[in-house]
Amino acid sequence: MTTMSAAFLSDPAERLRASVVGIANGRSGRRAAAGAAIAWSGDLFVTSAHVVTAPPSQATIVTPDGRAVPGEVVRRDAERDIAVVRAAGAGVPAAVAGDPYSLRPGSLVFAVGHPFGVRDAVSVGVLQAVSPLPRGYGLNGKGSLVWVQADVRLAPGNSGGPLADAQGRVIGVAAMVVFGVALAVPAPEVERLLSGLT
Amino acid sequence: MTDDRTTLAMLSEQLADAVATAGAALVAVHARPRLPSTGVHWKDGVVVTTDGTIRREDDIAVTLPDGRRIPATLAGRDRGTDLAVLRIASGSLPVATLGDPATLRPGHLVLALARLDAGGPRAAFGAVSATGGKWRCWKGGEIDSWLQSDLDIYPGFGGGPLVDATGRIHGVNSGGLSRTLATTIPVATVNRVMTQLLERGYVTRGWIGAAMQPVRLDPATQQRLKREAGLLLLSVEPDAPASRAGLLVGDIVVAMDGKDVDGFDQLLDVLGGDVVGRKLKLEVVRAGQPVSVDVVIDERPRRAR
Repeated sequence: MTTMSAAFLSDPAERLRASVVGIANGRSGRRAAAGAAIAWSGDLFVTSAHVVTAPPSQATIVTPDGRAVPGEVVRRDAERDIAVVRAAGAGVPAAVAGDPYSLRPGSLVFAVGHPFGVRDAVSVGVLQAVSPLPRGYGLNGKGSLVWVQADVRLAPGNSGGPLADAQGRVIGVAAMVVFGVALAVPAPEVERLLSGLT
Repeated sequence: MTDDRTTLAMLSEQLADAVATAGAALVAVHARPRLPSTGVHWKDGVVVTTDGTIRREDDIAVTLPDGRRIPATLAGRDRGTDLAVLRIASGSLPVATLGDPATLRPGHLVLALARLDAGGPRAAFGAVSATGGKWRCWKGGEIDSWLQSDLDIYPGFGGGPLVDATGRIHGVNSGGLSRTLATTIPVATVNRVMTQLLERGYVTRGWIGAAMQPVRLDPATQQRLKREAGLLLLSVEPDAPASRAGLLVGDIVVAMDGKDVDGFDQLLDVLGGDVVGRKLKLEVVRAGQPVSVDVVIDERPRRAR
């Protein structure tokens, strides 16, 4: 039996990493993946709007076992910075969605992404808030949107990847870093963007 | 695996509990443009924050956990330890539960907390990186113990508490004491400085009114006096303890109260404590000859603090 201090987040991280893919804009090889995406349901993948172009457009999914699968961008909300890509036959198990609003500040969270090209890297921290940004953090008007804000290290390549709770449930889609604070789009916003898609 | 998952969920809940417990005693301090800083309700009606986050001394307000914004007055501030103390109406919010920083060891889980607005407390997570004894920070103040962690002090987190996994507050985090690391001003230092700030509005420091520089003695004097180094007087202010005691430019202080002096640390240690009015026995080398001089320590003038 392993202790919690030894195992820590390794089990939930392993499960979630199986549902995280690389993504490249357009038709490219598997080495071009610049961001991350989350297998959400069926053939649908969720990522950041800023790593793909507006539909109709193409994107390439790079599966955890290294296959490049062609996909198409089917929804994109540039202001909210999330997009949906359909990649038929990718065969990646869907992640489990969680509810950021049920978590309190200080709850353990972790991110999976490809910071600086490192595949499926895990970074750990705690939730700061699920709210608009505090006054003084500024963000060209985007500060009034609700963000999952976390003390987790993100880097280029984490964009579009999941921010998850201690059980590995996806509570947000990593979008950017403001004053060092990791910002993710709340998972319920993803469900809103997905509505009507199958 | 189920057990691991359950204990991990429990850890997450405990951290959130710690944030909620300690967060109940935190206020947002509005004493600078744009971004507020964080204050800890250290005892009833008294809020502690960092000196560096106080940019105006009047028209200060704090936001309470319930979202109310109430006025606060600056009781005092100390640049040397980067602490400032505010008074607010009694009974406004719960008082902080303090811990003992001596119980923290490198590797212990800790949180840095902040309150930036009417929303909930904010948290950053990490571990204690190093602990140690008394030290003097670059701003000149004496800090009772060394407590460093790998936490990120985000904008607005300055003045907020370092909290253990049970929600006890071990000190106040300062972004200004160390350029690169999260440094915590421990409970003992906060208590000591807060008491002085509430009584007087500032922290008294000893002063003798002389500028000095460490020097090595010439070989002949070294051999004769069995000493290697001392502090050379570069200037002596008029109407100051040093000039009243007859100290002269060119004198080299080699011992204080019988203890060897070869650098600033020993001098600052003597002058840092509660020493105003105390007589300091100096051994001085003047023109190659040992001389004994008594200096009565005065309070450092406020302009020079």
